[in-house]
Amino acid sequence: MEGKFSSPEETNLLQRIKEFTRSVVEDLAEGRSPKISINRFRNYCMNPESDCFCSSDKPKGQDILTLKREPQTYRIDMLLRVMLIVQQLLQENRHASKRDIYYMHPSAFKAQSVVDRAIGDICILFQCRRYNLNVVSVGNGLVMGWLKFREAGRKFDCLNSLNTAFPVPVLVEEVEDIVSLAEYILVVEKETVFQRLANDMFCKINRCIVITGRGYPDVSTRRFLRLLIEKLQLPVHCLVDCDPYGFEILATYRFGSMQMAYDIESLRAPDMKWLGAFPSDSEIYDVPKQCLLPLTEEDKKRTEALLLRCYLKRELPQWRLELETMLERGVKFEIEALSVHSLSFLSEVYIPSKIRRELNSP
Amino acid sequence: MAMEITAVAQKLLLQLVSSAFQRCRLSEDLCRLSVLLDQSTATDPPITSISIADTGIGCILEQFQDLRCPRDFNGAKIWDGLLSVKTTCFTDDEVYFYHINLDEYISNKRLKRQPSQSKNGVKFSGTEVSLSVFGSMDVLVAPILGFFQKILVLHIPNVTMDLMVKQGASPGTQTQYFFAVNAEKTPCFTASNLERLKFGLEDYVLRHENCLATMCDHCFSEREHLKVGNGTICHEDKHKRVGGTVEVVIVISDLLETTQHCSRSCDGKTKVLYFDNFSPSPVPHFVLSALKKMDWKSYGLILANVNDQDGHVFLEWENFPSFVQIEIALHWYHNQHATRQKNGPGINLVKKGIKNALDDLKAKHEGFLLSSHARKICSYVPDLARSIAGLIFSSTDLDFQGDCLSVLGFQPQEVEREAVEDCIQRKIVTVIGMNERKPQKDQEAAPFLFFDGNSETSYFEEEEVEGEYYSTSLE
Repeated sequence: MEGKFSSPEETNLLQRIKEFTRSVVEDLAEGRSPKISINRFRNYCMNPESDCFCSSDKPKGQDILTLKREPQTYRIDMLLRVMLIVQQLLQENRHASKRDIYYMHPSAFKAQSVVDRAIGDICILFQCRRYNLNVVSVGNGLVMGWLKFREAGRKFDCLNSLNTAFPVPVLVEEVEDIVSLAEYILVVEKETVFQRLANDMFCKINRCIVITGRGYPDVSTRRFLRLLIEKLQLPVHCLVDCDPYGFEILATYRFGSMQMAYDIESLRAPDMKWLGAFPSDSEIYDVPKQCLLPLTEEDKKRTEALLLRCYLKRELPQWRLELETMLERGVKFEIEALSVHSLSFLSEVYIPSKIRRELNSP
Repeated sequence: MAMEITAVAQKLLLQLVSSAFQRCRLSEDLCRLSVLLDQSTATDPPITSISIADTGIGCILEQFQDLRCPRDFNGAKIWDGLLSVKTTCFTDDEVYFYHINLDEYISNKRLKRQPSQSKNGVKFSGTEVSLSVFGSMDVLVAPILGFFQKILVLHIPNVTMDLMVKQGASPGTQTQYFFAVNAEKTPCFTASNLERLKFGLEDYVLRHENCLATMCDHCFSEREHLKVGNGTICHEDKHKRVGGTVEVVIVISDLLETTQHCSRSCDGKTKVLYFDNFSPSPVPHFVLSALKKMDWKSYGLILANVNDQDGHVFLEWENFPSFVQIEIALHWYHNQHATRQKNGPGINLVKKGIKNALDDLKAKHEGFLLSSHARKICSYVPDLARSIAGLIFSSTDLDFQGDCLSVLGFQPQEVEREAVEDCIQRKIVTVIGMNERKPQKDQEAAPFLFFDGNSETSYFEEEEVEGEYYSTSLE
């Protein structure tokens, strides 16, 4: 994968760790407080003025950690703990997941999010990726369709069994030889929808690649999607439930997440289209009233917060409009509700017709 | 009917002793100050003869101008008001002899010169003041002892003091107390006033207010374990020609557990000693105010109460550890060329002096007197040190290890992990203490060039919390 992190010199993490340690030791030996400067990244803000620069992947400010404040000292403490573990992993050529790291000192870390943050801090500090630290993810995504690729030497031939789910590779950096005859990529929110499509042999009739993150997409899934987009230059369509959770997932695929904002470029799908389900679809496709669930208070608050995100105003006013409609109507529904009249409605009617419409529209 | 000697009489006596001490101090020679209390058993009420003799510089008779004759509650005289004074300066040929009647207000009747004595060519100086009072001497012993015990805090090396208490002629009824500066460890003859105050207060603490001849074994292990801070601040006012110096010494001791067996062990209260121009003095009001207004919190101390009993001041602290004791001594004296005015140093000068002493303590002992904020940060120190030591020792790059260890001041060959961790801990604590002392100006936010910083932060802070509601564990 191209990008600023690829060359081996830059990712010589052990050297970086030693330099960092040396500078901290020197500071202390000379009676100075160590100062650790960590860039701050974000991919959206709630600023109503449209003059924010969230669309840029540059850092938006810096946190300078010293021993003067307790929360900063805590952050330094956790960072050093994780850095020690990472040094050991790198030296011994072992790998560990974030969860593994958490379980090494659960009473000290207290929560997974603490470990995650420390890992994020180290990645920003050393301008590297998580996998450079030998921290691996447990993959959660599934893929099927008109695709062939290799991961770390192993062959994945989805083409051979078009309706079989293959796991999305975890070490996306080691994926090569991607070959595809697909016309588009379809991203679905839920595993149930993925299985429905597999069952209906969707890929036999439609030349496409189908991916699911099985809910909120993990880093590997997002990165794999990005890789496919870069290599294959195909249009991407996303199918989520018509509710705030679904929209959040859509936004994560399209705009990335705040937590991984420092590595935004490799994790988002910039031209992804929202295929459905829209609030208006409930009328067009005759969703029965009992499938239309009322939005809870929590849902409403979530939706209002989503509406404040600057990227919606700036880039996708149409999405914003649909979201506002959802809020106005006060109801939500799942994708499955569209299949109430016929089981294969999704695969045979809904998706193909929507895609045709997309192809015809500018 | 025995009459009680009042506090005024005690005060007079202490004034006379103090003057004698000053005469000794100002002399460049080794001097002796002897106080004799001799109670005659023959009469009823008993009569106590008091004699204060010193070998200091000769006295100036103006010293006796302000003294008044003490009387008891009813205004009756306890004494005939007569002071008998013999004095001579080094260069005098005679020893002059006076009777001074303190009851007389008319100056020419106050002083009556008596026949002098020739010195026959011998060179010496000194003064002897005698008086007799009605009443038992019991109430006089304690204040004089107290005076001597306190004056040792000033650690003036050339004065030896003693008190002889007699009740009749036989040696069995005599008690003698000696007070001299312990000159074995301290170069007091060349030391500054502040250094002397420091040694003096240390001794005072170790010997339970100088009641013991040596350090109390029950309470203290070694002199070196005391934590001492000192501060000095000068006041210069060129217009009024009042120059003065405030010196403050603070001694903090960690008491041994065996202190429970010591009858004199402290109750956690801090005693405050005050000296005015080389003489022990009750703590004045402005010093009390300064003590009350001090920012003790930024040193991790919470003042609960200030007890003032006739100039004896005790400070009480909240949540104070039971085996720790703090003592404070303050000394204010005029500079040499100042005219003799009654101006005190003022609250702010005293506060500054105390602050200087506390800062000195903090600087000398890392991790000490930290505010509660800094102590919270210190709770991370063992963990931080363990991680940093871990990063050094677990590295497979031995050059890097050696490099880090030598930066910390260790020889790579003979190094123990624990020692390195301890060293790192101490350095971090020092930095935390130092962060406390530095002025806060580098923490001001830089001015925003284009827009008001406040409006920007509010949008971003909110999102940090909300943002990724559904995610995190899968990231």
